Amino acid sequence: MINNPSHPKKGHLKSKDCKFTKAGVEYIDYKQTELLERFMNDQGKILPRRVTGTSARHQRMLSRAVKRARFLALIPYVTENMR
Amino acid sequence: MKKDFYEMTYILNPVLDDEKFSELVSLVNKLIEDNGGEVVDVDEWGVRKLAYDIDKKSTGYYVNMYFNAPANAIEVVERNMRINDDIMRYLTMKYDPKMLRYYELRKKGDLPVVFEDVDEENEDNDDE
Repeated sequence: MINNPSHPKKGHLKSKDCKFTKAGVEYIDYKQTELLERFMNDQGKILPRRVTGTSARHQRMLSRAVKRARFLALIPYVTENMR
Repeated sequence: MKKDFYEMTYILNPVLDDEKFSELVSLVNKLIEDNGGEVVDVDEWGVRKLAYDIDKKSTGYYVNMYFNAPANAIEVVERNMRINDDIMRYLTMKYDPKMLRYYELRKKGDLPVVFEDVDEENEDNDDE
């Protein structure tokens, strides 16, 4: 699938360039919870780099920011699927 | 003595009244100043809902502050905050040059935009 450009699943992947690099972000703040939530799934897990296209450096910053925000109860560690 | 720039966020027990909140905030400020630090900015976010319960409480009074302090002050401040039962959580971070640049940009309201609509949400929050 990875090597086949016409594979139907290819279109489902999000853009492959890092949004933080593009915007010139130097530091990801744990207080920007709306931003962090965009890089998490509905269970509250951090999305992998292969899905979001984030660069390695920014993914590290992002995960640190998410973990800080979780500690301060700004975003949940786990979200229950049943509501 | 060399001082570093720090950011600290702490959560107070929401059961207390406004008078007790400001008392605790000035207690923390005094603690920092007594140990050779100076408070730069204190931002009280007020009572917010927690993402999960801490000590069986679902809300907390958030305080976000910035200060300059020598490194050995942090230990003393944190020890005193740990002892105080009304402070439910605290997080202290030393700022590196990149974070400082971020802080300056944030003060000017000149942050790099990652998502267009996220930025609008942030502006809404500032108006409150």
